[in-house]
Amino acid sequence: MSGFLADFSNELANAVERAGASVISVPEGGREGVSGTIWRDGVAITAEHTIRGLDEVDVVLPSGAEVKAAVAGRDYGTDIAVLKVQDAGPGAKLADEAQTRVGEIVLSIGRRREEGLAATYGLISAIGGPWRTHQGARIDRWLRLDLNPFPGFSGGPVVNARGEVLGMATSGPRRSAATIPASTVNRVVDQLLQKGRVARAYLGVGIQPVAFPEGTARTLGIAGDRGLLVVMVEPRGPAAIAGILLGDIIVRVDGAELHGLHGLQGSLDPDKIGQAAAVEVVRGGKLVPVNVVVGERPEK
Amino acid sequence: MTAAGTLNPEASSGISIGYSLGSLAEWLRRITVCIRGPRGTRGSGVIWRDGLIVTNAHVAVSKSHSVDFFDGRRARGKLVGRDPGVDLAAIAVDMSGLPIASIRSARELRAGEVVVAVGNPWDGEGAVSAGILHRAAGRQPVIFADIRLAPGNSGGPLADAQGNVVGVNSAIIGGLGCAVTSDAVKEFLHDAGLLEAV
Repeated sequence: MSGFLADFSNELANAVERAGASVISVPEGGREGVSGTIWRDGVAITAEHTIRGLDEVDVVLPSGAEVKAAVAGRDYGTDIAVLKVQDAGPGAKLADEAQTRVGEIVLSIGRRREEGLAATYGLISAIGGPWRTHQGARIDRWLRLDLNPFPGFSGGPVVNARGEVLGMATSGPRRSAATIPASTVNRVVDQLLQKGRVARAYLGVGIQPVAFPEGTARTLGIAGDRGLLVVMVEPRGPAAIAGILLGDIIVRVDGAELHGLHGLQGSLDPDKIGQAAAVEVVRGGKLVPVNVVVGERPEK
Repeated sequence: MTAAGTLNPEASSGISIGYSLGSLAEWLRRITVCIRGPRGTRGSGVIWRDGLIVTNAHVAVSKSHSVDFFDGRRARGKLVGRDPGVDLAAIAVDMSGLPIASIRSARELRAGEVVVAVGNPWDGEGAVSAGILHRAAGRQPVIFADIRLAPGNSGGPLADAQGNVVGVNSAIIGGLGCAVTSDAVKEFLHDAGLLEAV
């Protein structure tokens, strides 16, 4: 009766099936089980927040087999946990990120222990630049989805209409679906497999944004009207060793002015670890330069 | 003009999908009825075969219902079978020559297939919505779809991309549409002695 719609329907079902060959079920995850994605040979990922505190989880493979998978590493910043699981199935086929466009049809795919593959569909409603999670992790780009997240979708892939993987689905704010893009997943998986964790740069200070009194910023040659007040200095931390004091107001790192907490996190990417950062603080009404050797954040 | 050249095929397939959905909706409207309850409530039903309408048990709550057809005709419907356990009911109408639903087993559906619902929510008679099958039918008598349903969809058809009815919409659970499978309907009609001899 309607050829186009039937073809479209077949294509979507094929995409679910194709991508589903790399989707596993993690029944212990979350409240009623979550999903995972076979990322590479012998390596799967799932949403870290759903399996917190577990060193080993049961997984249901696309073949239906139930096996144990060791948690090889976890990064709460990007919400990625890496599972080691042998003979799980083919690794996900990744989409070409450069070709991804707003308006493209996407599917969120999960697997449930009893019922098998599950999917919802929607659109890429916006694509943005890099962003930071609340935990300070850098995500390579923002993929906003117009899509209905379903119970257990976390950890499964978000795929395009060809079944190629755009990233890992996880819960976003206000019951939305957030996507951790494939490039970020690759970066985190590499680090987790090498070190078991993701290194995060760290100064060892507690900070709070404060407004300068009128005129102060101008006198000191600062463009913005806010700085970051140091309200805590970690004993023997990188900032303490460099001589940063309680009450200092951080205004610049490596010449760039900071705008809020995210600005400081943004200037502290992992590749800075072990290197000196030129920090400028306001102390006693004067700009004071301090060189801080950026440390690595200790594990929680 | 190369840009227009490359864009045209996509644009035309977009129009065709819209056209396909439109003609599909038109067909489904013909096999969908509006069932009015005693207190002004409104639900939907599917013309399963000549003179027999299938709906939800929670729509067919009394012995007799007013049934509106796509062409504006109205008939008195008599309750001839009801099973709240599977949320199904059958209503007989004294009419013939009606368009009849084409039925497909819900067990054949794959996750991701396009599904279309027609029903009578409060703000639109014969309202159509489209989505995909959320997951394949298991042993349960219901299927789930990623589709936007409203209360008046109850009892109306959930169909595949070719207009074959695969279920009777019955509930919204966790944001997903829930439909009683066509297979469960057959079993229900069989148990009620309403299944025609094949």
